[in-house]
Amino acid sequence: MSSDNPSLPATPLPRVGQQTAWRDFLSFTRQRGGFQLGLAIVALSLGLAVFGPHIGPYPTETALPGMPLQPPSWRHWMGTDVSNMDIFSRVIAAPRIDLTIALVSTAIAFAGGVALGVISGFFGGGRGVPKLLSEGIMRAADIIQAFPVFIFALALVGFRGPGTENVIAALAFLNIPYFLRITRGAVLQVRERPFVEAQRCAGNSEWRIAFVHVMPNALTPPLANISPTIGFSILLTSGLSFVGAGVPVPTPEWGSMIAIGAPNMMTGQWWTALFPGLVLGIVILGYALVGDGLKEFLDPVNKR
Amino acid sequence: MKYASRRLALLPVQLLLVSLIVFVLVRQMPGDPTFLYTGPFATTERVAEVRKQLGLDEPTYVQYVRYLERIAYGDFGLSMRTSQPVVADLRQRLPATMELILYAVVFSVLIGVPLGVYTAIRSKGALNRGVFVYGMTSGALPDFWFALVAIFIFFYKLHWLPGPIGRIDLLISKPQNISGLYTVDALLTGNWPALASASGQLVLPVATLVFIYMSLVLKNTRSAMEDMLRSEFVTYARAAGLPRLMQWRYALRNAMPPIITVTGILTWFLLGGAVLVETVFAWGGLGQYAVQSVVNSDYAALQAVVLFSAVFTMVIFLLVDLAYFLIDPRIK
Repeated sequence: MSSDNPSLPATPLPRVGQQTAWRDFLSFTRQRGGFQLGLAIVALSLGLAVFGPHIGPYPTETALPGMPLQPPSWRHWMGTDVSNMDIFSRVIAAPRIDLTIALVSTAIAFAGGVALGVISGFFGGGRGVPKLLSEGIMRAADIIQAFPVFIFALALVGFRGPGTENVIAALAFLNIPYFLRITRGAVLQVRERPFVEAQRCAGNSEWRIAFVHVMPNALTPPLANISPTIGFSILLTSGLSFVGAGVPVPTPEWGSMIAIGAPNMMTGQWWTALFPGLVLGIVILGYALVGDGLKEFLDPVNKR
Repeated sequence: MKYASRRLALLPVQLLLVSLIVFVLVRQMPGDPTFLYTGPFATTERVAEVRKQLGLDEPTYVQYVRYLERIAYGDFGLSMRTSQPVVADLRQRLPATMELILYAVVFSVLIGVPLGVYTAIRSKGALNRGVFVYGMTSGALPDFWFALVAIFIFFYKLHWLPGPIGRIDLLISKPQNISGLYTVDALLTGNWPALASASGQLVLPVATLVFIYMSLVLKNTRSAMEDMLRSEFVTYARAAGLPRLMQWRYALRNAMPPIITVTGILTWFLLGGAVLVETVFAWGGLGQYAVQSVVNSDYAALQAVVLFSAVFTMVIFLLVDLAYFLIDPRIK
């Protein structure tokens, strides 16, 4: 991206540019403790999503023999819950489902939001059918965003029935307007740049210019927002599961574990809900930190 | 006035579109609702008859118009769970949610705005760093979990506050119904035991909502204030030798529109956030009603809550726009 700047002398080889970008990224990372922490948390969460269900010391969906609600000890690092399942094993198994939902729904929302954002941004203010399309997309996004997020998610899952696919569908649907707006904002700027006019002179069709030439140059803002959206999706998933409208019960999932532990919090068994929520909070914080760092790295002019 | 009336004229259009979304949403329901009434073993003739009674044999757009007619008359059907008209259920539960949101908004603004202004003026120091850490963590913590931890500490361990048993102690009679807000009604009727109990019950849920959602107000106040302090008119005021306090006052006056907007957004957020917190505290408001309707597949109730929440949102943003109109003389 740095070689786009016309006022700089042309960089001799693109490969050198890539290496410079990578070196920039490393030195940027080295200076920022928060970003490093975020990256570590994200890497760990992804690792647990792959290996988590297999590396815990106890089974994740079956009750153990013996007394339930054991406090944390060397045998059970985070204690056991009301049906005597090992909380630690379940907490590290939970990223499997939580991250699958968050990653898949964010990917769908990104693809849909960017495509619609390019259309609405590139053809906005134009004439004819594309203009109507652009207007229609924006009004639809307005209306979807008129509903409070959690209530709308609850309703989508409520009418379609609980289950992983429906949670993914609901979250993807809710996040599309978000990516749409960010992309649209970027496209509105990119479409004014001279190279767009040049492509038009070269005889490219409008749709081709929009998706082949403008879109790649408008991807930075939506890309930087992937990470916080993943965090937000994990939070929503856990909220839905907490009230019984998300991932069904024996599956290890942070929100549903907090729900299982909720009654015990009022009778003093604090470990049942504390640990799943703590890990959930740390993971969401990690994705937020990575998002903040990436935004600053990709857009150093507007940094705070 | 033209601005305000044009803004008001937008409302019916929005309402229509929102009702269309909800109508489509309800049609996402798996299965045929006819069988809810006939049972699974009904004859074909009986199914056709019920289908006709329900109006399901008509084309979709006719069904939509029928549906609009019904909601225009305030007929949202019966809740399958409470066997009451949904409207009666909503009316019963609305004040509970409003009381929660009202106090959460008031305290978020009372704490968040001064803190935001202060951290914008003094951009260094321990308080600033504390606010930064708070802003990062509060957005990451699930509100329902925070509520549970607060209950464990302040109810179970310290015995400072009452447990999550709803809006008022079971042994204390509810105050006479005037506004529906227990604290207000108790105050108006001089019912001190009820006032004490209702206030005590409010502390933890309100504190939870304020802790989780206040950072929105804080961050936006700070950045609006920072922008204004860097602006040309404040630079000019500084160059003209106006006292510090005066410069800050000018800056704050001009930072008001974004602060009002974020207060609107906060209220909108809280309506959603209240759903989970109400569930934890057995609050008996709209949020808990929404959750119970989802869990029990009570579609009529769910549909009404969703529609209400969208209307509520529109009213909030309408008020925000009208407040702009009042405080910003340029919009006329």
